[in-house]
Amino acid sequence: MNLNNLLTPMKRKLFSIAFVAATLLSLPAFAQRTTSGTVTAASNGEALPSVAVRVKGTNLAAVTNYDGKYSISASQNAVLIFSALGYATQEVAASGAVVNVKLSESSSKLDEVVVTALGITRDKKTVGYAIQEVSGAEVTKVKDANFMASLSGKVAGVTIRQSGTMGGSSNVVVRGYKSLTGNNQALFVVDGIPISNDIYNSSNQRTGRGGYDYGNAAMDINPEDIDKVTILKGAAATALYGSRAANGVVLISTKKGSARKGLGVTLSSGLTVGSINPDTYVKYQKSYGPGYGSYYGNTDTINGTYTDYRMYDYDFNGDGTVDMVTPMEEDASFGMRFDPNLMVYTWESMVDGQPRPFVAGANDPTSFWENSATFNNNLAIDGGSDNGSFRLSATKFDMKGIQPNSSLQRNTFNFSGNLKASNRLTVSTVATFTQQKGRGRSGTGYDSRNVNQSFRQWFNVGADMGKLKQYYDETKRNISWNPYGPLYANPTQPHYFDNPYFMVNESYQNDQRNRLIGNMTANYRLNDWLDVTARANVDTYSDLQEERIAVSSVDVPSYVRRNRNFTETNLDLILTANRMIGSDINFNGNLGTNVRRTYFDFFGASTNGGLVVPGVYSLSNSVSAPAAPSEQNYTIGIDGYFGRASFLYKDYLSLDLTGRYDISSTLPSENNRYFYPSASLGLIFSELIDADGISFGKVRANFASVGSDAPAGALRDIYVMGTPFNGSPLATAPSTSNNPGLLPETTTSYEAGLEMQFADNRFGFDLTAYRAVSQNQIMPARVSSATGTIFKYVNAGIIENQGVELVLNASAIRTKDVGLDFALNYTRNRNKVVELFGDAESLQLTSNQGGIQLLAKTGEAYGTLFGIAHQRDENGLPIVYPISASRGYRYLRTTAPETIGNINPDWYGGLNTSFRYKNLSASVLLDMQMGGSFFSLDTWYGFATGIYDRSAGLNDRGVERRELVSNNGGVNLGDVAVWDGSTLDEDGNPVTAANTEAVYGDMNYYGNSFGYARNAQESHVWDASFIKLREVAINYSFPMDPAGSIKGFDLSLIGRNLAILWKNAPYTDPEYGLSAGNLQGYQSGAYPAVREIGLNAKLKF
Amino acid sequence: MKKFLLSAGIACAVASCTSDITSLNVNPKSPEQVPAGALVANATITLTDYLATLNVNLNNFSMWAQHITETTYTDEANFDYPNRDVNGNTFDVLYTDVLRDLAEAEKAVAVDINLSEAQKVQQMAVIDVLEVYTYQILVDIFGDVPYTEALSSETVVPAYDKGEDIYTDLAARLTADIAILGGDNGLGSYDLLYGGNSDGWKKFASSVLLRLAVRVADHDLARASSWGAAALAGGVILTPADDASLQYASAPPHTNPLWEQLVQSGRSDFIAANTLGDVMNSLNDPRRGIYFRNNNGDSVVGAPYGLASAYPLFSQPGDLLEDPTLAHTLIDHVEVHFLLADAAARGVTIPGATAEGLYQAAVGASIVNWGGTATDAAAYLAQPSVAWDATNWQSRLGTQKWISLFMRGNEAWAAQRQYDLPMNIAAEAQRVTPLRMSYGVDEYALNNANVTAAGANYQGDKDTAPIFWDKD
Repeated sequence: MNLNNLLTPMKRKLFSIAFVAATLLSLPAFAQRTTSGTVTAASNGEALPSVAVRVKGTNLAAVTNYDGKYSISASQNAVLIFSALGYATQEVAASGAVVNVKLSESSSKLDEVVVTALGITRDKKTVGYAIQEVSGAEVTKVKDANFMASLSGKVAGVTIRQSGTMGGSSNVVVRGYKSLTGNNQALFVVDGIPISNDIYNSSNQRTGRGGYDYGNAAMDINPEDIDKVTILKGAAATALYGSRAANGVVLISTKKGSARKGLGVTLSSGLTVGSINPDTYVKYQKSYGPGYGSYYGNTDTINGTYTDYRMYDYDFNGDGTVDMVTPMEEDASFGMRFDPNLMVYTWESMVDGQPRPFVAGANDPTSFWENSATFNNNLAIDGGSDNGSFRLSATKFDMKGIQPNSSLQRNTFNFSGNLKASNRLTVSTVATFTQQKGRGRSGTGYDSRNVNQSFRQWFNVGADMGKLKQYYDETKRNISWNPYGPLYANPTQPHYFDNPYFMVNESYQNDQRNRLIGNMTANYRLNDWLDVTARANVDTYSDLQEERIAVSSVDVPSYVRRNRNFTETNLDLILTANRMIGSDINFNGNLGTNVRRTYFDFFGASTNGGLVVPGVYSLSNSVSAPAAPSEQNYTIGIDGYFGRASFLYKDYLSLDLTGRYDISSTLPSENNRYFYPSASLGLIFSELIDADGISFGKVRANFASVGSDAPAGALRDIYVMGTPFNGSPLATAPSTSNNPGLLPETTTSYEAGLEMQFADNRFGFDLTAYRAVSQNQIMPARVSSATGTIFKYVNAGIIENQGVELVLNASAIRTKDVGLDFALNYTRNRNKVVELFGDAESLQLTSNQGGIQLLAKTGEAYGTLFGIAHQRDENGLPIVYPISASRGYRYLRTTAPETIGNINPDWYGGLNTSFRYKNLSASVLLDMQMGGSFFSLDTWYGFATGIYDRSAGLNDRGVERRELVSNNGGVNLGDVAVWDGSTLDEDGNPVTAANTEAVYGDMNYYGNSFGYARNAQESHVWDASFIKLREVAINYSFPMDPAGSIKGFDLSLIGRNLAILWKNAPYTDPEYGLSAGNLQGYQSGAYPAVREIGLNAKLKF
Repeated sequence: MKKFLLSAGIACAVASCTSDITSLNVNPKSPEQVPAGALVANATITLTDYLATLNVNLNNFSMWAQHITETTYTDEANFDYPNRDVNGNTFDVLYTDVLRDLAEAEKAVAVDINLSEAQKVQQMAVIDVLEVYTYQILVDIFGDVPYTEALSSETVVPAYDKGEDIYTDLAARLTADIAILGGDNGLGSYDLLYGGNSDGWKKFASSVLLRLAVRVADHDLARASSWGAAALAGGVILTPADDASLQYASAPPHTNPLWEQLVQSGRSDFIAANTLGDVMNSLNDPRRGIYFRNNNGDSVVGAPYGLASAYPLFSQPGDLLEDPTLAHTLIDHVEVHFLLADAAARGVTIPGATAEGLYQAAVGASIVNWGGTATDAAAYLAQPSVAWDATNWQSRLGTQKWISLFMRGNEAWAAQRQYDLPMNIAAEAQRVTPLRMSYGVDEYALNNANVTAAGANYQGDKDTAPIFWDKD
């Protein structure tokens, strides 16, 4: 049997065995004998599987089996090298037929065999670029619905942001934004299969205009099946994958069966419960009722009670006397002060006709959120024989979200197997079937399907969630806190907002994705140093999304369905050579081709003008004829040819050269061929010097250039057909003009690193500095609309990323029974937009509600927040001017928008502390980001509607803030420059003076000094910094009798997102975003963070 | 040997997949060529939608004309248009949706082998009239706008032309179109305004030319006279049958946009402004019950312009406006009568008519057109406050024209500017209606040198600076 190391990462142990066997057969001339033995852990004596055993100076290798046993052929004077993840490498002379080894744990990851591009396994020491691994145990320890979220804080150079809704997407950006408008997400490769990580969130969804976050396609990966995650960061590491890998690669190796006696069975089961973190939600004022100000009713005094025009005078019960009626049609809380002694007619009176005491809702929207519950069960069986092995795994993931009527289920079936078909031919296969079903996902952005649009922005704090739930449960009708009320033509209908319980239960969505990812691989050994691998990979899925708006909702009732089919095939043929050149140089290289074809088909349709029959969600139930469905279909492909040559001199000097030549279907035929090279160099200088205390030292440097093609359909202009008008067909030119003259784009990158370990690997660091320049980018550039088009595909733009990544490790205590380790990673990336299309100084990435834009602006980091700022005096104090004696002061705003923030953090990192005492282990992960900012539409509107706690209560003068400033109410504006509102100097600038006494802004109505349209956008740009207690895990491994039928039993208590230890942004989780993708830095209807606590049990037989 | 056969076999299999790469990346779902008529029809709808809509992101002019005001969210009524990028959106919709589709239609006409030469000439003229109409809207809003270099593949930074120069060119284009238009244009049902009959388009073109003439009369009477004469010679719209109006459909997405905002949205954003309400009340206007409901008897209860006000306490847009099929007018016989009356009042000879007679015809036509009766009109006109007053004709004619242009915000605002009608100071903004719109931020980001140069003609792009035809 002969399984080549090019196959898939997980196969390397099998390969090694095969390799040895093949060697024995093909190289009988050497005086060899078999050495065997058992490898155990020095700490607890347990057998260690998957330890790589290598004969020094040769290519001979083996791995230990499940019982820690190995067998290898070696000459009599040979030295065996034992290496395993998490253990210090040992070199032992093969002095006898039996060599037993005890490996001690190592906090360093230096001795690993790492997986590199195309699944090629390498000794990490010799690799000339930065690479970082996370073990499957780390990923599954504290699971998230989206496994990518579990990487947050664990890897330097990788920004992971979670959108924060059930099953929502994770934004994974490696070493900064490199593409102005294209994809910046890392490429995901599972067992050598590049898989789709498409995000099908609509552009409306991404820009906060409503829609659901359907997650990203790579979240189908089941954490239970992950053996190891390897992150390839720089272009030199990823160049062989071609253009898609310019944003880094996340390589995932799944668990495989091992050659062992009998079957191994692993059963794991977990339950996690979650609840909202109130620190990330609105705190409501409970003193003032509905309304926007004092302009309701015909009088300011009703039946002797002064109402300040904040109540309607209306004869509600028809008894001939006017009653006090709240402006229930309003979705703001700048109404009259609550008073339980006043009997008033409220939204509830529309149900029963009765007046009730005028009080705040007993249950505010915080009570809307339920506890989440996640069940995760996995059964895995593995086994093998001398001729092969297999693993079968079935996982059921079942989640109920914090929003009522929400659930996410995922069933995963995974099979992997390999067979030594002959002495030279090995075949293997991996297949994973995933079925994901979502229901009642959270609506996002500024939309009625997002309850937070109301709860955070537009609300009447007089609404009681308990009553709303009761009314819905009893009637199943849309009895809202926000009916028009008796003065309107349709009194009981909801005005702006539905009953939130009606909405989530009736206007829900559902989705399903069935997916198959798999490959077939054949490896044929041509001779002792040359073999050929043929591999066919497929990733295919069909995806259905259905969205509903129920009859009697505020919005037009509707049904939308979308169907997608996606298939990507990759055919690889790779020739691999591995031999010594002379006695000191090892050569390892490949020549190969990659043929990739991507097929995509989309069909989407919706009803028009409403639904005829309530509760029937079908296109045929449309009030008016539905518009023609939207269809999209394309097939694109790349034919690639690549080569790699790696030279290793005496185990300490390595040189890698790669080159790839691509022919792309998405570029014009005259420009569709491009070549890109990479080179990396590594020197283990600790082998050359003899310094006490330095256990390891390496310098490395590399260079790479990566070409990239265009998105599908960017070459020729097309027309869009519209819905016919009274029988007349319509057509229009799309807002993006295509370009038949596009050229490939290029990213050039340099990287240098220093890696050192001291005091027997007790502590050390890995420092990397990098710089990448992307140019000639293919993008739809925004152009003046007077050109007749809004976007035009061009090659333009230069964007630079440079940064530093630091990984530190330290073992404070390292004894047989006790261990205390720290691992810290730190990343500082500096992004700079150098040039855009033509003379443009900014490229609008999006224009969002609230008058805020996200720009790529030359000279600034990608992701400038652009909006109206405070005008400031020469000392930087914001200028304020008086509105009137009663309303006090307001901020003076700039007339034109300015840079008021940037989405990029100054730095981010993670600190993992792990403690071990005998069979008990515990770990704590802190995840942090410093700097970066976001705009909040929630406070922009919410500060104007008077729902937040800060809009009521006493001010620093001891007077209600809601009182007029002239009555000593209002809010102190702090240190400001005061302008009289008229005096200008000769340059036309306001003449100001720093305030000597406190000045106050008004908090009396919705047009107060702090909310939208009265304040500047700048005031609602918040600091995105945070320190989070991301993960806590306590695990106990019960000691087991090795002879017993139960091989292992682990019990763990875990916590995820338990607390935000520090942040500056109030009322929210600064990490929350609408969707993965380039459009970040904007919160609208943000969901609260969820704290999760769980219990996991794992049994091994 | 087997191994080489195996390798060779795989290599062939791989190679056979690579032969089709150049044939990929075609879009089988969207056409690269379409009939010109489909583009003309789309442009017509987009243009009319823009004029008819009360969408606060797109068209605020019914508020700027102070016909209506906002209930709760009063920003647009207080002229805060940059916040929603209304100025930028106006450029987007008129240049990239309307003018672009018209430009694409011209290309499609030129290559359509199924059209006769005569039909091609007619269709090109029809397209030209719509282009002229669109540019006139742009000039009236902003003053200088990109024109000669607009919609050109030559530049992505088109220069701005002077509004006055654009008007001159538009008049010349219309004059040429009037000479061509007539008979069957071959557009058939694609022609949503005149059903394929270019005789209608000729009257439309002449009427727009008359509008241009009257618009520049305060600025350049000689040019106005010359254009006006050409318009009259061409024959203008004088009866409802000739109106350039689009009859909307009952089903979305092709309803009148008003229906979306007033009915479908379920919102209650707009109420009568006291500016219009007070004038109508003082004149006992018979259209009050049509324009508005929830009146106090006959009286319009107008909310103080720009001040937050409760919807139930004020007059609301009338029931008539809630019909999804309500037609929207690009130019009609009512407006033409007002234009003719203006011309006559300035001394232009209108055969067989007087300024007074035309004025009375205009006011009467408006009342009847809105659903009133001739009797209502006669009684209304008999009032001294409404009757023709030759010494004070600008104010009188202007006021009546402004009233008649209800729900046609662009023209109502133009009338208000041209006749210097008094407006209220908006409650929050503490200023009267702007005289133009400043340019949008996108132009400053993308076409900075040109837009900055254009803005210099307006005291640094101030919206308080008048455009060329707006003289005191």
